[in-house]
Amino acid sequence: MGASGVNIVRFKDYDLQYSNGMPIRYVAFPFPVAGQPRSVHKSYIEGKDLLSGKPMMQAIIDALTMPLTDEEKKEGMPAEAAPEPRLLEPDTEVNLRRLFKEREWTDFNPIILPAEERAAEMLKGTSHQPDEVVSKFGSREMTVEKAAIYAVMAGAKPEYFPTILATLTQAPSFGNSTSSMANIIVVNGPIRKQLGINSGTDVMGPFSEANSVIGRTFTLAGKIMGDLRLDEGAYSSLGSNLQYNNVCIAENEEALPEGWEPLHVQMGYKPTDSVVTIGVGWSYISSVGEAQINHPPHMMFRDYMRSLTGMGATIVMDPTVAGLLKETQGFNTKAELSEWLSKNVEVAAGTYWGNGVNTTAMTPMALQGMEPFATWLKVPPETLIKPFTDPKAIQVVVAGGGIQTTWFVTDFGLRRGVLIDKWK
Amino acid sequence: MKKKILLDSFLFLLVALISIGVTSCITGQEDTAKNCDERLITVLNPAISSRMVERVPLAPRIDTLEGKTVYLVDLQWGGPKAAYSVFEEMEVWFSRNMPSVKTEIRRSSGGSFGDDPALREEIISKKAGGVVIGIAG
Repeated sequence: MGASGVNIVRFKDYDLQYSNGMPIRYVAFPFPVAGQPRSVHKSYIEGKDLLSGKPMMQAIIDALTMPLTDEEKKEGMPAEAAPEPRLLEPDTEVNLRRLFKEREWTDFNPIILPAEERAAEMLKGTSHQPDEVVSKFGSREMTVEKAAIYAVMAGAKPEYFPTILATLTQAPSFGNSTSSMANIIVVNGPIRKQLGINSGTDVMGPFSEANSVIGRTFTLAGKIMGDLRLDEGAYSSLGSNLQYNNVCIAENEEALPEGWEPLHVQMGYKPTDSVVTIGVGWSYISSVGEAQINHPPHMMFRDYMRSLTGMGATIVMDPTVAGLLKETQGFNTKAELSEWLSKNVEVAAGTYWGNGVNTTAMTPMALQGMEPFATWLKVPPETLIKPFTDPKAIQVVVAGGGIQTTWFVTDFGLRRGVLIDKWK
Repeated sequence: MKKKILLDSFLFLLVALISIGVTSCITGQEDTAKNCDERLITVLNPAISSRMVERVPLAPRIDTLEGKTVYLVDLQWGGPKAAYSVFEEMEVWFSRNMPSVKTEIRRSSGGSFGDDPALREEIISKKAGGVVIGIAG
């Protein structure tokens, strides 16, 4: 733009300078900044820059006035960075295991070392070529062969591989945010039965190899592709235990009440298609006990959803809950339930804006006059608003063994499902 | 007969021990991996290479901020009030320590993820001496 610039960052710098083609001069503040009292901000200004160790304002002035270094004057394509070799140097198993841990290529549960022959066996699970790109993250491209490596490491069988590949098209959506995000993976269609992906009793528990391994692969791939290492790119303040498996479940399509379509059919796929759907969110709240007649499940969903951001929700319910909602409350489709929740979930405007994600994401829109955010920002904080403006952002997944009328309300925002059959 | 039973038992034990050793090499149980310590194995590299992009040089610096205007741009991470006082404190610092520096605090209408073309245009047209942008994360 012509003016000298300096950026303020809050996390440990890790050589971002050329990620966008332009070197940028940074200073770094301590954590946390947002929402802290002015006295804390003053102490940061009077304190030191975490990168240079200089007094903060001196560091800012230097960043704005010090002559450019030769490095900062460079233009054009730099020499190609040394590419990662396809194979690691031969070593003993113990040393390789140590290396994988040191590089944080694991979730620190035991892994299968990705020997070539194991990856070759995994590649037999798909007709796609090893060098085909599955997903991109910046300039990093995850190929089918890399995906096979992660699948081997997680303990996958070759028949899982098409589902894993479809899942990894959404990588590295791993929820690497200071706000400690997580993912959900929902599988629909005939592949559920073919692979034995659990959709019934204990669907969310550690009782199914396919659920366990497919979910784990997504985490290993996301960590490695994103080069997420503790305090070196991974900076969620609390993190999320859900990241070990990403709530990998299948929908119990056979137990859906009549008129309630499977998730993938709602998205426009055929019932005979096999589809995996990925969601991103934070929260996961249990009904704890069984449904009650005097305050039925849809009212409890409404009450629980007051705690969520309003951007999206996914309700995972046992088939017995779905049956109750249809037979006793008259919800003939999932869409009718979503519509009802969209109209009936209300929160105080102050509560809505008290959520940091809402404030960060929606305030710019409110300040630009976009509705309903502009109005919500102006009204008194006690005014009730309906934050779930889009019923389609409220999804319903029916899963579980029909043993108890339990459910989870989550704020996972589901993306469009990915066709697994394409990756066979 | 007794000898044969003993021999059979010994052979069975030997086979079992060898099996455990082989299994540990394959499954990689670290506590029993001593059995395969010496064997070198080759595995695929999970890491993905990054590619460099074309470089754009940094904007030239000015010699001094004295007498110049510095824009302090709040990206509004966490909302319009969350970190605004960082910039107010910077303004206080300049007024005390470099009073000839004029400061302009602005909130970027694009927030933390978007652009604010009008603000960019203003900064360019006013020939600002510098811009401090933050604070995200």
